[in-house]
Amino acid sequence: MKILNIQRMSTEDGPGLRTTVFFKGCPLKCAWCHNPESICPLLQKEWFQIRCIGCHICIANCPNSALSIAEKRIITDSSKCALCLKCVDGCPTGAMQQLGKSISADELYSEVIKDKAYFNGEGGVTLSGGEVMAQTTEAVIMCQKLKAKGISIAIDTSGFTQYGNFRAILPYIDLILYDLKIDSALEHQRLCGVDNTIIKNNLIELSKESVEIWIRTPIIPQATDSIENIKAIATFLENNAIRFNRWELCAFNNLCVDKYSRLEQSWQYKNVPLIPKQVMEKLLAAAQAIISQPQKVSFTGLTRLEEEQK
Amino acid sequence: MDNIVKMKEPKNLSPRIKWLRDFYFEGAKRAWNNEYSCYTDGKPWDFLFDELTYYIVPETIPFYQTYTSSSLQSAEKIDMPEQFWKLSLKERRATFIKEAIVNHVPTEIIPNDLLCGARFNMLSSHCLTEAEAKDRNRLVCGKNGSRKQEVDYYYYGFGNDGATSGHLIPDYQKIIDSGFEKVYTDLKSRYQSMSPAEQKSSHGEQIRAMMIACTMPKDLAMKYATKCEEEAQKTQNQLRKAELLLMKANLEVVPWHKAETFYQAIQSLWMTHMLVMTDENYPGPGVSFGRLDQYLYPYYAKSKSEGMTDEQAKEILGCFWFHCNTAYDAQIRVGNNGITAGFGQLFNISGCDAEGKDLTNDLTYVLLDVIDDLSPILEPKPNVRLHKNTPDKLMNRVVDMIASSQGAPFLLNFDERSIAGMMREAKAGNCDDRIHSANVADYASVGCLENTMVGNDRSGTVDDNLYLYKAVELALNNGKDLTPKKNDLTGKKLPIKQHGPKTGELTDLDTFAKFYEAVKRQTAFIIKKSVEIYELSERVRAKYGNTIYLSTLVNGCMEKALDVTEGGAQLSFVTIEGVTYATTVDSILAIKYLVYDKKEYTLNEIKTALISNWEGFEIMQAKVKNRAPKYGRNDDEADAIAKDYMEFFATETWKYKTKSTNRQFRPGMLSWNYWASAGFILPASPDGRKQGQFFSNAICPSNGADIFGPTANTNSVGFALGGKAENGDFHDYCNCLPNGASHTITFNSSLLRNPDHLDKFKAFLKGYIENGGTALQINILDPKMLKDAQDHPDEYKHLLVRVTGYNAYFVTVGRELQNEIIARESHQQY
Repeated sequence: MKILNIQRMSTEDGPGLRTTVFFKGCPLKCAWCHNPESICPLLQKEWFQIRCIGCHICIANCPNSALSIAEKRIITDSSKCALCLKCVDGCPTGAMQQLGKSISADELYSEVIKDKAYFNGEGGVTLSGGEVMAQTTEAVIMCQKLKAKGISIAIDTSGFTQYGNFRAILPYIDLILYDLKIDSALEHQRLCGVDNTIIKNNLIELSKESVEIWIRTPIIPQATDSIENIKAIATFLENNAIRFNRWELCAFNNLCVDKYSRLEQSWQYKNVPLIPKQVMEKLLAAAQAIISQPQKVSFTGLTRLEEEQK
Repeated sequence: MDNIVKMKEPKNLSPRIKWLRDFYFEGAKRAWNNEYSCYTDGKPWDFLFDELTYYIVPETIPFYQTYTSSSLQSAEKIDMPEQFWKLSLKERRATFIKEAIVNHVPTEIIPNDLLCGARFNMLSSHCLTEAEAKDRNRLVCGKNGSRKQEVDYYYYGFGNDGATSGHLIPDYQKIIDSGFEKVYTDLKSRYQSMSPAEQKSSHGEQIRAMMIACTMPKDLAMKYATKCEEEAQKTQNQLRKAELLLMKANLEVVPWHKAETFYQAIQSLWMTHMLVMTDENYPGPGVSFGRLDQYLYPYYAKSKSEGMTDEQAKEILGCFWFHCNTAYDAQIRVGNNGITAGFGQLFNISGCDAEGKDLTNDLTYVLLDVIDDLSPILEPKPNVRLHKNTPDKLMNRVVDMIASSQGAPFLLNFDERSIAGMMREAKAGNCDDRIHSANVADYASVGCLENTMVGNDRSGTVDDNLYLYKAVELALNNGKDLTPKKNDLTGKKLPIKQHGPKTGELTDLDTFAKFYEAVKRQTAFIIKKSVEIYELSERVRAKYGNTIYLSTLVNGCMEKALDVTEGGAQLSFVTIEGVTYATTVDSILAIKYLVYDKKEYTLNEIKTALISNWEGFEIMQAKVKNRAPKYGRNDDEADAIAKDYMEFFATETWKYKTKSTNRQFRPGMLSWNYWASAGFILPASPDGRKQGQFFSNAICPSNGADIFGPTANTNSVGFALGGKAENGDFHDYCNCLPNGASHTITFNSSLLRNPDHLDKFKAFLKGYIENGGTALQINILDPKMLKDAQDHPDEYKHLLVRVTGYNAYFVTVGRELQNEIIARESHQQY
């Protein structure tokens, strides 16, 4: 399995306290992605300027001379970099850091079981990403072991996978956090890189099962934040009688801005401010007007501070 | 969402309690205060200030002479009759202190107050004869006296130790339930059962002195009763008149007789308690109350059934809170209201019984209300005992209070792990007749969080503070100091010395096992040395620093006819508090990783880097900091070494007893503020720490090392203490530190932002009960607020933070420690 990291005592990935495993590799390419380092299925590296002491061991270690210094930054010529990660091995400070690691289902199990005492029935393990459903076979092996210990398991998925994969993992999981970002197939293709028909169909199928479902819609300025989009998603949910326990509108946040610069990538949302609370309230009202059980809809996340709005 | 954390404000206070609280915070401007009253017997060799008790506060070393002369200068002379000098020293001391507090310290009643017993801080004559004074002077100030040895020991970086006051839970329940008259009667029959020879011995002296001390509270209560009567006559306010007459009526009953009402129980408790501070000449250092909600409950229930309302109970308790804080007045003119953060009148609430059943009662919640309403305030310090069967109602109240205060306004103690430690003590300390499964759940905490039994236990919980890292330093130089040290007092350099055994030249330590063995042998050496140094003050106190009144409240003293300072308590321990634990473990781990596993450097290269304070060795330093394994990450291999070293420390500690008083040494981990100051004395460490940077605190992972968050941190702490095993010390819990260990975690305020998240925090606490340590302090801090407090200290006078087992007002701690607290705020930043 390729995972990015394990986040313990997570409070934002389902009920209770959770250990969240971020899988590496995602079939979607959402322009606003908050975990850009999880998209590529290969092991990568990133560079933290603040940790760098300027020893340049990384440059010396690179067999392909892919690294160089420009304005006190270590930059990578991606045409030369073979992702051999020898730069990471040599770095004394952890400024040059590996993104992702290979781990067996057993190893991963023995890590996530360490916090069993804090799960207290309600909490548990969340498999997030990247996209866990892209590595279903191995994920299922671990889920079986966790299930045997009575650990509650959630998956956080884009839904973009063959339904057979869901069928394989369903016996072990208690909750699905399911992303519905954009209703329009065309827009979805344009902004996330894939058609959303399979995502919607999978949700319709999952809704017929007994697993608990939480729908999540990231509210991204000029991408998903139109009233029309929210109304359309709400209508889709209503018309197909999708069974869900929660639908969260998750306000855009910019906490990942540094991730892009560490990956030497640009991010079109770099200077986009947080969404004002009133906007979130309006979207929430639009959704609640359509959904037959409006109390299940809520919004979460940071909104713009009052003084910043003035 | 509200991103700004507001400062906790007191609330729901009655006008009386609001007035008392505001009055307290007027500090030095107050017309009344509880500054030390000083009394001398007038002999030219007399002295009042006793430095022994301050050896563990090494910052005070330069001021011993000043304290000694200034206290004497301001002292009132009490003329004692000629026959006084024919009494034994024990009786002289008991008589003098009684005379001073009853007939010389002003008897005053604070406006609006419902409790009597205002001034109690006192420095009193030691009542020595010339010969005794000479002998004591030799033992303290002589060439091989305690002072010189202590000072050297401290500046060489071993730590500090000294026979210190307080840090025990007197048997207050006995006094509330039966009054001092019972103690007096028991003492009388004990004396009568002695043979004439015994009566003439120091044992007889002890019992006679205790009988004198026993009548002190009675006589003082009468003085206050008279004062209440006078004030009642004077006042035109009919309501106040009635109050004063009720106070008088109470004092005619308690503390001599048993209490009949809740009000009397609190009056009895307060007067009995404050006189301990009088007797010890030291205000409140860890003189703790035990399980307040348990032994006061019968009185609370009775008074409630007789018509007392909770509001009335809270007013009485509010007055009690006020008085506890006045302990700090002792040195009020030193600035900052005299608060030194070194006190700690602790009490426990809730907790389980022998069967694991929860003992929370209505009074538990009343006490929590009082804490919540009055906070922020420093004393008395609450400690809530949690366990597997803690009811949800209490858990919710605890989490709500943590969320609404800036950090928990109490410490949390964890019963299963704590009890496991006490059961270990029963075995290792050969005292399973005193500590066993039927009574171990009655344990309680003193000072900061140190677990002891109640009413019969002095465990010297702050008396021996050992810097474990000294052992690594010695191992890296074949038993010698790695760097020269300095005596700050004289400015003189201390030469490099062969302190420890020769554990091998570095080139001979060619395997990790050999290196680790060298560290262990040096650890055994520094433990032995600390025991020897401690003896120097223990023997002086036993001879010349008896606390007779306190001994009447500690079971064992009467049976053995020994003072509590002579090892009279049924359970008599001295705790070696291991300081710098995580830095020491991380140093061992770093050397294992770089020298033996990766073979990137030699031991000699590490040694050179440390002597150079890492300057010029930045790459090596970066590697140990960032690549070497660390304790606190729930990393099985690293934590296995942490646990092994912990066990070694504990096992070595159990080998010793004091010579003069036969007190057994026991292990603990509390660092008070030493982890900061030790950083300046001891050299750089192999974990990447430079000299001048702080060490790790108590059992906490090194600052910033816990990069996997609070659960991984907690799992490491619980594992290092012993973890769990099939046949544990208590069920499956193991714990090799009976004293317990201070564990602080700072959480971001966003973790408690809504009810959903409060439930998640509860889940964390439930997990802590399973996997964690003995005690937890929770800080909830907002760095923005703290930075603002640095810039505007006047606006944040009341901002409390909790550092290593004690509370402190943030603006009163040094800038470096302030920065440290801010750095800790963002939990996962390294």
